[in-house]
Amino acid sequence: MKQFAVLQLSGCAGCEVSLLNADAWIQQFQLVYMPLVISAYDVPPVDLLLVSGGVRSDEDLHTLRRAVPRAQEVVAVGTCAISGGVAHLGDRDEVRQIFLAHAERHHVPRMLPKSHPIDAFVRVDRYLPGCPPTPQLFMALLEQDPHFKPAKTVCQDCGRRKLKDMRPQRLLGFQQGRVEEGICLINQGYLCIGSSTRGGCGAPCTRAGHPCVGCRGPSDTFIEKESAAWFTSIERVFASMTDIPPEDIAAGLRSPQMALFLFQFSDYAGEAGQPRPKEKVL
Amino acid sequence: MTTLTFPLSRIEGHARVVIEVQGGEVVSAHFQATEFRGFQYLAQGAPAEQMPVITPRICGVCSTAHHVASVKALEDIYGVTPPPLAITIRELLLLGQLLQNQATSLFIFTMPDRLGVASIFHLPDASDDADQRTGVATRALQVRQAGTHLIALAGGQFIHPVKAVIGGVTSGITEQAAAAMRAELEVALPVACALFDYYWESSHALSERLGTWGDDAPAAYLTAIAGYRPSFYGTQLHVLLPDGSVCTNFEPREFRDYLEYTETETSYAGQTSFRGQVIRANSLARINMMATMGTPLADGYLERFREAFGQPAHAILLYDLARGIELVYAIERALELLSQPLDYEDTDVPYAPRDGEGYGLVEAPRGPLIHHYRVENGRIAHAEFIIPTVHNVLAIERALRVAANRYITPERINLELERAVGRVVRAFDPCIACATH
Repeated sequence: MKQFAVLQLSGCAGCEVSLLNADAWIQQFQLVYMPLVISAYDVPPVDLLLVSGGVRSDEDLHTLRRAVPRAQEVVAVGTCAISGGVAHLGDRDEVRQIFLAHAERHHVPRMLPKSHPIDAFVRVDRYLPGCPPTPQLFMALLEQDPHFKPAKTVCQDCGRRKLKDMRPQRLLGFQQGRVEEGICLINQGYLCIGSSTRGGCGAPCTRAGHPCVGCRGPSDTFIEKESAAWFTSIERVFASMTDIPPEDIAAGLRSPQMALFLFQFSDYAGEAGQPRPKEKVL
Repeated sequence: MTTLTFPLSRIEGHARVVIEVQGGEVVSAHFQATEFRGFQYLAQGAPAEQMPVITPRICGVCSTAHHVASVKALEDIYGVTPPPLAITIRELLLLGQLLQNQATSLFIFTMPDRLGVASIFHLPDASDDADQRTGVATRALQVRQAGTHLIALAGGQFIHPVKAVIGGVTSGITEQAAAAMRAELEVALPVACALFDYYWESSHALSERLGTWGDDAPAAYLTAIAGYRPSFYGTQLHVLLPDGSVCTNFEPREFRDYLEYTETETSYAGQTSFRGQVIRANSLARINMMATMGTPLADGYLERFREAFGQPAHAILLYDLARGIELVYAIERALELLSQPLDYEDTDVPYAPRDGEGYGLVEAPRGPLIHHYRVENGRIAHAEFIIPTVHNVLAIERALRVAANRYITPERINLELERAVGRVVRAFDPCIACATH
């Protein structure tokens, strides 16, 4: 039986909670380390190491560097491990100083000046983006099923119809207005970026009536490119389907809720020194 | 001086317990959160309407509670009252979270302490075996999944849900989907009860072995629910004094008059007291304040609990039993709510954004959670998160000192101490991501 471990750095444990829902692994894999559910204090040698969370403290970095050499294969799981995720909101110039000023404590691990994706420090063999990745994606990752072909985009997973004659004039944002069933959220004026966000999640958000915020990162078309290419493509979708002023779309895409995920891949490849090849991303 | 450090597992997040001993005397016992999230700073300048999507990411275990508290805080600022259907669906969301959380805490986090293993995933899994130890993991995940499916139904995603929006919810629940969920809950209910019976039995055996259910002194309790057939949607906070008298009820906006918050150098989590007194939140606080649960099976367990331990009950290990009563209640109550029509049109009301200050309260599985925002020019100028685990920090540390005194003598440190530290901390089911938000 293949052995795997889950190392949680600074994050919310949502990835671990999602993995727990992929309960089919119990019969196929032996989980040997995951502090959330097992009392074990060190990562043993394993076939597969899943790392969730970003590198935020010196302790995160130390634990990560000690664990990686013991694993045959290393997977960065979730937005935080891949791009720093929500912690990057603290790297904005206007926030970083107060954030760090409040993070000074004497008897606990020291915070690093900023949050880092794990491949800034260690080799990563595969990436599983999502906030969090769904249980189905976790199973596909563990089983390395060659037949698992995730949808290219969230749009393909969503099932809402795009209408030619329904062109909104203004952006509704994320919250306002009553969502009409079965009709594309862009047609209804929502800032939904499912058209170029990586699929495979099954589109739980858009199906429930909430616009896609892009947590799975860009689709293969954009994954090896700068985020500017992704932005442009989204802006083009809105220009062709709506009459919403382009500056409203541009501002919306740069607001925190979207920026969290939109900067996910290409921009951080710079820090890692290597672009993340699409073959490595599930 | 001897410094004993106990890393913690089977809780959410990164924390440790540090006990200092001088000449066989316990000098201090600290519960240290060793990670820092800092959402009160991360949220600065964010458009207010984005908070219901940003704040669930404080914690993947408690994301539902943050999602709903965030929407309620914004509705408080905008002066919006959501329609009854939206409130029912949000209640279902919170029940799904309660079910998921209590199943996780009982059967994944604390069951191993009863069975003397490192994890339930290390127990045999052949489900046809007559031994109750077999198949615990599979059954625990089955019960837990009923909770996550309920969150997904009422919230879209089961982690970081999206369906609660300012003014209501994005959609109702069709009768077909409700029926499928009811069927799953009907199947989960007897499984949950059987696991809880086994849990109660093994907890009893544990208390016999230890000679106690916990010997810490009585404390005051804090919760946002009370009465009968509790709603976790939250309106007011309530404080119960150690002698069982209800001391006061207060609005979320008045919390500073009752709860004193301080920070320390030993942890990234702060701590709160009730006007200087140790206070406790989470399951035992709720069970102590409930008249009855209002559903048949949960009330059966509650009666048994009261006969054995009285009201209010104070022993630390009773937190875990209280969680089991709530697990059963969550399933029964969700079945009731899912039996009413939930697919009519009144999902939300229109609203006009405006600047101001607001508070959103829910009773999360770990206790009362308040989101407090000040919005200027449509953006977050100030965000504050009043977190259940933080209410419990002083109570955890007091209970740790009691355990340390029990197991540390001038002659030696009893090896039971390490297990006791784990049991004490897990009884409070702390969440470190939330506590360091």
